[in-house]
Amino acid sequence: MRKSSVPGRKNSAYLFLAPAASILLLVLMVPIFNTLRLSFFEWTMRALTEPPTFVGFRNFRELFGSANFQESIRVTITFSLSVVAIELLLGTVLALLLEGEFKGMRLFRTLFVLPIMIAPVVVGIMWRFMYHPSYGKINYFLGFIGLGPYGWLSNPDLALRSVIIADIWQWTPFVFLLVLAGLQGVPKDVMEAATVDGTNYFQTLLYIKLPFISAVLGITAVLRLIDSFRSLVVIYNMTGGGPGVSTEIMSIHLFKTAFTSQRLGLASAVAVILLLLIAVFASVFIRNSLKEERR
Amino acid sequence: MNVRKLVSIAILLTAAAALVFSGGAAEQVEVEVDPPGGREFDWRQYEGTTLVFNFPNHVHYNAMLEAGVLEDFEALTGINVEADRMQYMNMHDAQVLEMSKPVGDYDLISMVVMWKAEYALGGMIRPLESFFDDPSLTLPDYRFDDLVPAYVEVTGIAGGENIYKDGPGAQLYGVPFGSETSFMIYRTDVFEEHGLEVPETYDELTETARYIYEEVPDTYGLTMRAASGHHATHAWLLHASPYGATVFDENWEPAFTSPESIETIEFMKKMIDYGPPGMEGFTQDEEFAAFLQGDAAIYLDASVFAGPAKDPAQSRVHDRIGFALHPRQRTPLAETGGFGIAIPENSQNAEAAFLLMQYLTLPEVEREIVLAGGAPFRMSTVEDSSLYDEYPEFEVLADQLEHANPDWRPIIPEWGDINNMLGIAINQALTGAKTPEQAMEDVYEPIRNVMIRAGYID
Repeated sequence: MRKSSVPGRKNSAYLFLAPAASILLLVLMVPIFNTLRLSFFEWTMRALTEPPTFVGFRNFRELFGSANFQESIRVTITFSLSVVAIELLLGTVLALLLEGEFKGMRLFRTLFVLPIMIAPVVVGIMWRFMYHPSYGKINYFLGFIGLGPYGWLSNPDLALRSVIIADIWQWTPFVFLLVLAGLQGVPKDVMEAATVDGTNYFQTLLYIKLPFISAVLGITAVLRLIDSFRSLVVIYNMTGGGPGVSTEIMSIHLFKTAFTSQRLGLASAVAVILLLLIAVFASVFIRNSLKEERR
Repeated sequence: MNVRKLVSIAILLTAAAALVFSGGAAEQVEVEVDPPGGREFDWRQYEGTTLVFNFPNHVHYNAMLEAGVLEDFEALTGINVEADRMQYMNMHDAQVLEMSKPVGDYDLISMVVMWKAEYALGGMIRPLESFFDDPSLTLPDYRFDDLVPAYVEVTGIAGGENIYKDGPGAQLYGVPFGSETSFMIYRTDVFEEHGLEVPETYDELTETARYIYEEVPDTYGLTMRAASGHHATHAWLLHASPYGATVFDENWEPAFTSPESIETIEFMKKMIDYGPPGMEGFTQDEEFAAFLQGDAAIYLDASVFAGPAKDPAQSRVHDRIGFALHPRQRTPLAETGGFGIAIPENSQNAEAAFLLMQYLTLPEVEREIVLAGGAPFRMSTVEDSSLYDEYPEFEVLADQLEHANPDWRPIIPEWGDINNMLGIAINQALTGAKTPEQAMEDVYEPIRNVMIRAGYID
């Protein structure tokens, strides 16, 4: 009796899943498939009503032969790995410092997470003003100690670092929030037992807290990695990809290829490469964090 | 009825009579003003229509809004105008997407001149000849010939053998509205105090900028846009024209590796050295701000900046500025650019949109916009010497327009792509990431490939 009921249950499970699965297929897989298909075509925005022309792998060959595209891959990887590493470190340190309860802590935490709530376009413009060589606050304050003025966003040696700082400012609170939630999940009895056993702060941190929050850290790293690969608005508003192409991450390169050069096939090829790159990096991160978890 | 009541009634009656008769008298003395085009023209033939007008947040269009001419048009025609104002660099994407639909929402668009050929050849905007030939739509005293000829060519003519220039097969697709040439604005106080002559050549300009940078406290030489992409290309073109450099030769082969082109970049690098900090990252807004704040003593770019430079609300130096011709070097050529207005092919209200286009560019309406800080585009305004006391820039503009070059940049449909690539390379040269020669050499093949793909060269 039990055996015979299984296929029926399975079928109804598929039936219940079908609406969600079909919506997912429609809104997720169809655009991805179309992008993939379009990456093998030449299609310009100047003639959207005309059908795209099949060009095989020409778009990919053109991209990998382009110095600007190669530079944008390098910039993207540098930007993403830098922001993820620094944000994880800073966010974890801050969460460890602020995990206890003391007066005014709630208000402080609320204020601290404000940057995440600001619209990216505002963040971009705000930092552009702060970095302004003549009227920006950063050069203004540095002037008091006889430094500058620096072209934070116009100097090719400084621009990417300046953009990384802005991203760290906005997204460290996100890491802080997740890690804080992870730390609050550390069982109190384990902590009490450790205290009774006479562990010091660093031993508690190293052998209890960090192992407990390693899964949270892993998933936070993956989320931030994916997000940083797709960053567009803040950097676009700060530098537009310049000076030269020194802050032109792949999403800006993609945007310019689609809307400035108006080559939708080539832009699709950029999107496909970006997707593959994110998938590779994310899977490495996920695999590593799972390994940690198993240990 | 007592005396007091009688007096009250008499006063009330007198007051009422005074109100009634004074109103009547006012009606009698009111002079009815003829609408533009005279009484015969039927301005109300599209009454009740709603038009969507897409235009930039730009000096001239802001003056149009301030002058209230859109409201005047609505009152005159009974046509409702919905204004869709955008940052100008974002308009292109919105317009292309809108004009690619079978039925578009835009009825009148403002286009940067560099999009003109792309729109015209792509069948996205309408030729205007049939509208101007229709007497029911065209005002008898529109005075088309009064529009600045160089502006008409650069903003409106496209589609012929010469693609973006006048020539066989070319048609009129737009009219100037927010168009510009280039001239120089300088700080009279700085020049007078230091006994400086207004530079007439690029060599003199270089020397003057150096002097100001080295000798005038807290003041820099020339303000210039130079940010990677469009802004750097614009600045290069602005100075390349007098230096005799071009993007392509007569056979559409890239020519920007020429000695003249390198010389132009070397000049720009010197201006960066003598200019405000971080100028290699300046967009147009920052270029403007450096002059308006009094940081830079010389401005050399679009003439449309005269309005903000003279506006006390925007400019700290509004009372200390002079105007001069764009310096020459090998040639005296100045830019032509800015905006024109056109009617999308997929507009459902093209005739009503043509009425708006015509109204906005009428001599009397142009005058209202100019008085509100807009840019003149009719010869009758530029050459009206009675305006020169209040608008000294018009006198310079009248002379400058003789050298305004409609072929200032090759605005072929592929220009957007080329503009971006060239602008990245020029910015790399300006920031020192590459030498001028290396930067231009590196972008030579990619741009040549664009031209091969588009069929201009083999």
